[in-house]
Amino acid sequence: MNADVHALIGPYVLSALTTDELADFEEHLETCAACREEVASLRDVTAVLAEAEAAAPPVSLRTQVLSAVAVTQQVRPAPASGVTPQARPAPAPASGISDAQPLAAQNPPAEPPAVTNLSDRRRRRMPRLALAAASILVLALVGVGVGTAMKTRGENLAFEHDVMMVTSAPDAHSMDLSLGNAHLVMSDKMDAVVAMGQDAPMPKVGMEYQLWLMMDDGKAMPGPTFMPSSDGEFMAMMHTSFDGVVALAVTEEPHGGSVAPTGAPVAEVTL
Amino acid sequence: MEDDVNAARHLFAVSGSSDGENGANVGASGAGGVITPRSPVRAALLSELLTQVGRGSAPAFERLYDQISGTVYGVALRVVRDPHLAEDIAQEALVEVWRQAPRYRPDAGSARSWILTIAHRRAVDRVRSEQAHADRLRNHGAPDATHGEEAGEPDQVVDFLYAEWEASRVRAGLAALTALQREAIELAYYQGYTHREVSEALNIPLGTAKARLRDGLIKLRDVWEVAQ
Repeated sequence: MNADVHALIGPYVLSALTTDELADFEEHLETCAACREEVASLRDVTAVLAEAEAAAPPVSLRTQVLSAVAVTQQVRPAPASGVTPQARPAPAPASGISDAQPLAAQNPPAEPPAVTNLSDRRRRRMPRLALAAASILVLALVGVGVGTAMKTRGENLAFEHDVMMVTSAPDAHSMDLSLGNAHLVMSDKMDAVVAMGQDAPMPKVGMEYQLWLMMDDGKAMPGPTFMPSSDGEFMAMMHTSFDGVVALAVTEEPHGGSVAPTGAPVAEVTL
Repeated sequence: MEDDVNAARHLFAVSGSSDGENGANVGASGAGGVITPRSPVRAALLSELLTQVGRGSAPAFERLYDQISGTVYGVALRVVRDPHLAEDIAQEALVEVWRQAPRYRPDAGSARSWILTIAHRRAVDRVRSEQAHADRLRNHGAPDATHGEEAGEPDQVVDFLYAEWEASRVRAGLAALTALQREAIELAYYQGYTHREVSEALNIPLGTAKARLRDGLIKLRDVWEVAQ
């Protein structure tokens, strides 16, 4: 790799390159894995610099942004690369981040946007699920049970990584979960489901939430227990096959969880 | 039998922060009980939201807006120092996030830094195209008047606690840099200088400016442990 180009990592991450230099450096990035890795880690540094500047935006901003977005077409996904937010200009209206042309009027939606309706996606899944449900070997299980309290940084990072793998899996799909502002993300490919959300109410004193797989034979397979934080955030993940699973449910259970639900679900998602 | 099955499952659960309720402490390293914007839950939520936005989900975008707009606006304000201009830039940047979201790839960096890079670049582009930029180059020490606005909406107060906490952390990090590293990074990130302008303002060779920008960031990364 070219040492001169490599030395531009700092200026690049700090947006301190000119337009021409930026284009050259991004070209270099596509062929230099070491630079890409360093860029990703140093960008987290600049994100901290930015977070320290957080300020209340004018209330008008929200409306403006949401109404502009409603009439703005998205770019197509990049074919293969796409090292940076703007590495590859869109095929038609070529535009890097530096081209100022985001707004509606300039981009009338000429074709249907790539919106994938979740219920459509669900419908497409149904035959597969039905087939799967027919198989008699109910569960193909992986892994080892892991306690709910995870303390080390390494474990946190591993957990975060696992969750990201699930939520960004190509077949990941999301369903609303009525436990505060929450949803489930399932991926058959990753054999996993993640429940995550905000603004969840606290369970009754002495109780915690538990996730369940409701099976087509009427049984409930226990999943992890979890508690919302003081501001209602929670996240729980379960690696499991979805063969024979007809619904996911959340109940309140005594601390430590139960082997079978002891009360009615507080939230339920039918597949 | 059922218990065996249960034990064989691979389970994880965390709460968003350490509130002591169930002893699960998964706040980001060094957070000391504060939920940081980089807590695992927040980072994962944002990444997942951005992935959904990339598939065209407007509701996901709305939620993403609520998570990140304060930082997007704040960083724009810091760079351009004009609330109206900052609002314009924040709008352009957030619409650009929507537009480009199908290109977001989690393995190229966090969702947060992807979004903030878009916002910061917008702000820097704008400040460079301004007439005033030339003046600022001449007296780069000018105090910045607009920094430190009050929190407006109640649900954002918490974000400003983070911001305050982050600000003190940032100050501590910057204090660990050499004077040259610190000045170079401040000129580039907060004032939108190019590396060439940094070298001129600090009267150092261009190669030195590039190197200080990079090793300064690496030093901050090590101090903050934001990378693995």
